[in-house]
Amino acid sequence: MSYRVERMTLSGRIALVVGALALCTIVSMPWWASQGLIRDVITLACFIAVAQMWNMLAGYGGLVSVGQQAFVGVAAYAMFVMAQTWGINPFVAVGLSLIAPGLLAVPIYLLLHRLEGPYFAIGTWVVAEALRLVATNMPLVNGGAGMSLRVMTQFSAHERAIAGSFLAALLLLVTVGGSYLLLRSRYGIALTAMRDNPVAARSQGVDVQRLRFLIFVAAAIGTGFAGAVYFMVQLRITPPSAFSMEWANLAIFIVMVGGIGSIEGVLIGAVIYFFADRWFGEYGASYLIVLGLLTLTTALFFREGLWGLWRRTIDAPWFPTRRTLIRVEGDAS
Amino acid sequence: MHWIEGIVQGILLGGLYAQYALGMALMFGVMKIVNVTHGDLVILLALIGISLADLAGIGPWSVLATLVPIGAAIGWLLQRAMLNRVVGNDPLPSLIATFGLSIALQNAMLVVWSANTRSLPGGGIQQASVEIGPLFVGVLPLIVLICATLLTGGLDAVLRFTRYGRSLRAASADVEAAAMVGVNPKAVYATATAIAVGILGFAATFQAMRSTVAPADGPFQLIYAFEAVIIGGLGSVWGAFTGAMILGVSQAIGFRINPGFGILAGHVVFLAVLAIRPQGIFQRKS
Repeated sequence: MSYRVERMTLSGRIALVVGALALCTIVSMPWWASQGLIRDVITLACFIAVAQMWNMLAGYGGLVSVGQQAFVGVAAYAMFVMAQTWGINPFVAVGLSLIAPGLLAVPIYLLLHRLEGPYFAIGTWVVAEALRLVATNMPLVNGGAGMSLRVMTQFSAHERAIAGSFLAALLLLVTVGGSYLLLRSRYGIALTAMRDNPVAARSQGVDVQRLRFLIFVAAAIGTGFAGAVYFMVQLRITPPSAFSMEWANLAIFIVMVGGIGSIEGVLIGAVIYFFADRWFGEYGASYLIVLGLLTLTTALFFREGLWGLWRRTIDAPWFPTRRTLIRVEGDAS
Repeated sequence: MHWIEGIVQGILLGGLYAQYALGMALMFGVMKIVNVTHGDLVILLALIGISLADLAGIGPWSVLATLVPIGAAIGWLLQRAMLNRVVGNDPLPSLIATFGLSIALQNAMLVVWSANTRSLPGGGIQQASVEIGPLFVGVLPLIVLICATLLTGGLDAVLRFTRYGRSLRAASADVEAAAMVGVNPKAVYATATAIAVGILGFAATFQAMRSTVAPADGPFQLIYAFEAVIIGGLGSVWGAFTGAMILGVSQAIGFRINPGFGILAGHVVFLAVLAIRPQGIFQRKS
């Protein structure tokens, strides 16, 4: 009797096709969509990327961070300095700027991993605050007054739309596609084991410390990518906007409400956040009260989020990572 | 002289930070959770106090006497209604729940009190100063420091010598074993949070008298409390007290070097302590 391992499901295949089509649609936007729509899609892509990176950290790595805005800000500022001050092509600068969060994540992790669970989270916040103050006092980045990306005027609106759409698609491919590939690999099994029980995972030979370190650095780079793209489109950056608590807030809301530890949850949560922000953002404080209370309620009562509730009814994952053992029939041995 | 004055100012500032830090050290010590609303509760109590003083026409000491029981009640309720559900080995639920509450609370305060900065009138005590040797020291900061010292000593004594302190230490060492010998962890936790937030009643009154408060200030107070606890070393209330002094002195000296560098100097010292002595400067040997 023999067995084979099956991972792909019908829903997974459909989702892959839909995903590929969505990415192609995003890339083709400059030829048919309005400027406003392109901007919205890029913003949504940035939300998804930041949230998915937080999901990998908190959902799989067991590293709860409330300071991911540190990497958003550092990458975005690196991109502005390279493009505006040093005269590097802005689109190349987006790629080069990812070195900054990657390098910075190493000492930050080495310092903060000494702190226990919840203190790690507040530690990341202190780092983000410290970086905001450094940016506010740094002449290279024009201090608290912020910077404008005036070099972008050398490109036409159409050229900028092409670059923005392409970068948004690439961002989704790297953060969402990359996470999916990682979760399907050997490392994915280790990560899932770590998510469910770090101590048991360690006893099965998973190098939990090393894996956490790698996840932290990878998440920093992914988050930085989103930051660089977001502020390239905004054309303007200031320390309070770059290192805004809003980034941590949206990542936590999206992942918790959508469903932690699943890519599907991030996509659902990001769409909800995006439209909530669009429709109710004008209510300001009252809207944020509701958002905060929703995060609170999810953490208290619906730990698995919307995707978890949905999966109870219909078990059809879009990004299947589960391995199913199937007995091969008709094998006479 | 310039620097000695800076150090004295820093220690006085540390008195206020110690009042933020005590409750956080207590809650983490017992439950291993961080209440992200810690700083927002300081601001909430301060704003309640300012409105009370305004509406009822009472002085700052009556405000203090009202805010401490209000704080204790809020803390007790917070633990009973919410935090008891999320205490556990996984840090995620308690962090996320209090993070969400913090966002809601900040914005609710914004709706009720608007974004204006406010302060509590102290009836002239803010301007009073005494001459100690060659220095003039503000009376109010001195009261704050004395209060912080008494609170720390009092809390330490409660933890060491009372029946409640013993059950609290038992619950923090091993919840299940403590429950077996008759300690009710949920009641112990509720009292611990009530004490922690009650102490914030002092912090809120003094913060509102010394400077100003606005609804969005909470996260900063949370960060200062956290830095003080980590610098001092986890596990003892006097550690948190000393950490608060070091943080206050770092900030005061930073401000003298360059006004833009004050708060950042505190963060730098915090990160340096984490790099060199991650167990904190005054970690008690176990």
